Amino acid sequence: MERLDRRLGALTATPMLVLLAVTFLAPLIVVAAFSVMPSKVFSLWHQPDFSAYAELLRQGYWKSLAWSLGMALASTAILLVLCWPLAFAMAKVYRRFTLILTVGVVMSLFVSENIRLFGWVLTLMKGGLIEGYVRHLTGVGFDSLLYNVPIIVFGLVYVYLPFMLFPLAQGISMVPDDARQAAADLGASRARILWEVEVPLAAPGIVVGCLLTFVLATGAVAESKLLGGQVVVVIADEVETAFTYGQDWPLGSALAMVLIAIVGTIAVIGVNRVDLDAIMGRRR
Amino acid sequence: MTLTLTRRSFTLGSAAVVGLAATAPLSRAQAMRTDRLNILCWEGYNTDDVLGPFRDRHPGATLRAESGTSDPDMINKLRAGEVNVWDLINVNQPWARGQLYPEGLIKPLDQDRFLPYFERMLPEFTAPYPLAFADDGNLIGMPQRYGPFSFVVNTDKISRATAEEQGWKLFLDPAMTSRFGILTYDNWNIIHMCLTGDLNPFKPIDEAGFETFQKTAETIFGGAKLRTDDLVAMNTALINGEIDAYFTGGTYTASPARLDGLTNIRGITPSAGPIDGKGGVVWIELTSLVNNPDPSSLAADFLEFVQEPEISKAVGFAEGTYNPVSQMGDPAVFDLWDAEELDAIQWDTLADEMSRSVEYDVVASYDELSKMYNAAKRG
Amino acid sequence: MTEKTILEIAGLYKRFGAFTALHSIDLEVYEGEFLTIVGPSGSGKTTLIRLFVGMDEPTDGTIWLRGRRIDTVPANQRPTCMVFQSLALFPHMTVGRNIEFPLKISGVDAATRRQRALDLLDLLHLPREYYDKRIHQCSGGERQRVALARALAFDPEILFFDEPLSALDYRLRKTLEKELKDLHARTGKTFVYITHSLEEAMVMSDRIAIMRAGRFEQIGPADEIYSRPASRFVAEFMGEVNLFPVQADDDGAVRADGLALDPGVAERLGLKAGAAGMLMVRPENVTMVNGSGAAEPGPAPEITVGGHLRAEYNLGSRLQYEVEGPSGQRLTVETLREGRFGGSPGDAVTLGWTLDRCHLIHGE
Repeated sequence: MERLDRRLGALTATPMLVLLAVTFLAPLIVVAAFSVMPSKVFSLWHQPDFSAYAELLRQGYWKSLAWSLGMALASTAILLVLCWPLAFAMAKVYRRFTLILTVGVVMSLFVSENIRLFGWVLTLMKGGLIEGYVRHLTGVGFDSLLYNVPIIVFGLVYVYLPFMLFPLAQGISMVPDDARQAAADLGASRARILWEVEVPLAAPGIVVGCLLTFVLATGAVAESKLLGGQVVVVIADEVETAFTYGQDWPLGSALAMVLIAIVGTIAVIGVNRVDLDAIMGRRR
Repeated sequence: MTLTLTRRSFTLGSAAVVGLAATAPLSRAQAMRTDRLNILCWEGYNTDDVLGPFRDRHPGATLRAESGTSDPDMINKLRAGEVNVWDLINVNQPWARGQLYPEGLIKPLDQDRFLPYFERMLPEFTAPYPLAFADDGNLIGMPQRYGPFSFVVNTDKISRATAEEQGWKLFLDPAMTSRFGILTYDNWNIIHMCLTGDLNPFKPIDEAGFETFQKTAETIFGGAKLRTDDLVAMNTALINGEIDAYFTGGTYTASPARLDGLTNIRGITPSAGPIDGKGGVVWIELTSLVNNPDPSSLAADFLEFVQEPEISKAVGFAEGTYNPVSQMGDPAVFDLWDAEELDAIQWDTLADEMSRSVEYDVVASYDELSKMYNAAKRG
Repeated sequence: MTEKTILEIAGLYKRFGAFTALHSIDLEVYEGEFLTIVGPSGSGKTTLIRLFVGMDEPTDGTIWLRGRRIDTVPANQRPTCMVFQSLALFPHMTVGRNIEFPLKISGVDAATRRQRALDLLDLLHLPREYYDKRIHQCSGGERQRVALARALAFDPEILFFDEPLSALDYRLRKTLEKELKDLHARTGKTFVYITHSLEEAMVMSDRIAIMRAGRFEQIGPADEIYSRPASRFVAEFMGEVNLFPVQADDDGAVRADGLALDPGVAERLGLKAGAAGMLMVRPENVTMVNGSGAAEPGPAPEITVGGHLRAEYNLGSRLQYEVEGPSGQRLTVETLREGRFGGSPGDAVTLGWTLDRCHLIHGE
């Protein structure tokens, strides 16, 4: 009887599984297939020659990749430090204000990323909100604060804040108040409590938050285009260029595959490093 | 819109797995449709001022227009199998001749029906316009919007005369370091960087030429203060004094600022250059019939419809950017522009600038140049 | 017992907004004793213990530990430690790491830590293999012992307990109560324990403090609190009790509704002229005077009351009878199994006890 139930269950789940496989995997497989095609072809009916990967190594794409990964890493680290107190307050201190904060942060997501970033351009540019006021008040102007690497990292931090904040708040809410108080009672200072108790117990939230922001920031392109004035070319920009102006789908696919492989590996390692089940005390 | 989004995700797969061959013969047998028209175009054709009147004339038809963000982006859609979706495509002139027609993505127009329209166009187009024809003599697209496209300066900082006289060399001047931006319309930049290095981008380039190009690209990217593919952001930087000029631009990018009264923002066409003495480039959009296996008779009707005076004006003066149209040779069309609008599109020097510009064409050594360009861009 | 004070509390107040949780608490805890603070939920006992260990600050009042004022000292600098109701073990650490935690914080080297943890496992009768076990692999009772070991590793001056046994089943609780008392004897530490369970308090404590609505009602040895409660609340809180209102007229004549007092007994009650009180007698001190086979040897009752038998309950080692008193009140009698009363419900019975087995609670 139970076996029949299970078989029926599997049968009912099949259409959904097929749909998921088609929508998630098929595009990925097509991209993977294109990445091994000869240069500049627009169909898969060719002898695979992996020339796109060779091309990828010959050209200086590693620079773009390094910039993307480096800036993603920097913004993730900054976000972790920045969001911790905020998430802590959301999870443990504010009660009713948490909802307001949540709604506020979520609302910002309703406005397109490009529009929000352009708002920052208008704020930071020469003659913009900041420089304009300073010049008006002091008579001394300065060059715009835009078009450099730190401002791109700032943009990443700004745009991906919710993706760190909410998982982090979730993670911190999993730290029992008792455990923190017990640690204090046993003599631990604030810093020791953070390191010995809060961080390990909030690890699932930290890992999820970091992975989300890191993965999204690695694939981000608008921040470097709008705020950074493309002072550095990010990898997602290279993929876009290869597909459009380059008219080289295999090269674009190969770039995308390399990015997927790197980000995927980091994600798998990250999830495995933290044994989510053990931390949740679920395993017996 | 949702239809295209889901289709887009599927078509890449279906085009590859099933192949175009499988779908085409099945649907070709059907009769021509009159109830649907899908237009893939640059912004302008998708406004209510253009589509509204056409909808009124064809109340039963479903009319949809989607604007692309770049020529190759739109062409990718057709390549990915969306020839089944679109009936009309509107891109710049070299693509139709160079790629779309040879690959069978667009089809010829009826010359008896469309050739007469060339007679009422501006002198540059009455010949009729040669790039509207394929090598086999077929008419493959109708020109409408056009514009000189070289670079843009703030004339308060750099006079028009100086800019025209210095031409592309302006951007190699060490004094200009960090005083200009690069509008990253990559295909244009490759052409313009060739011109800056006194190379003809439309002819194959030799080793020495590549070296020159590489050096030019590195110098220009090295000297640029910012890069963006957003013309509004670029104009903003030019207006607020962040930069004094930007590499790659023209009436298309300068006109929105000019119509706002900032007529110190001006597209410049160099007075001299390496292609038969010319140093400027002009783009001309061609609207072509997509080789849709399930064709719509409304496609050709629409192409005829946009030749009408009011509609020509509406296309030229759509939101976002303002551009001259070839139909302005007809007084009935020209009279619809007022003085400010004419100033926004730099009408006073337009014919002169056209005479100093060459046609935007297929870049002969695009692959090699593109690699060097992107390497220089990466820094 | 050498009654040397280790912890002294004076005039302790705690207010939460308009609500006063603690009213002027005074308390002395003696060196090495096992003091249990008992009270119903909401009586303020948890608030009090949180002030002791520094998880909250008092609104007013002072706490001295061995003469050193500690109410202003942060929790992590107080030489006290608490076993939480939830135990608050660290789920991400092994048993060993949990026990070693306070040692690690104070900078003890790894080898010493490990030895100390193993010693504590021995002390608490936990196998040494548990050192590497994870917390969620331990049973409820084992976790309890780990929590205790961790607290002992801290080597506190006073060990506080916040109802740590309340979540356990009855049998385990009984076992651990005795173990805890044993541990207290072996370690010689001062234990301050809070609970709402009288039984727990009685089993373990040297002294019991009864708390009610933010005040202490009575503090004293368990026997004293049980047999000589200071108030009706304490009397009733400490278990089944029979209470009879008594009153002395201005001329000294004692009126006690339904009670028959032997001559001279009224005077010996100690009730002042014009005062009122409650005569309290515990069920086990009452005998069935007219029981059929209950001719219990012992002194003759000096105080008696009539009633009707309502029901008999079997409590295992004892039997309990419910009797309806003269004014309709419910009276309880308990006897050992051997002292079974053979009557059936509805029988008229007389209950009796001697004066030294009852206690007068002064006041209303």
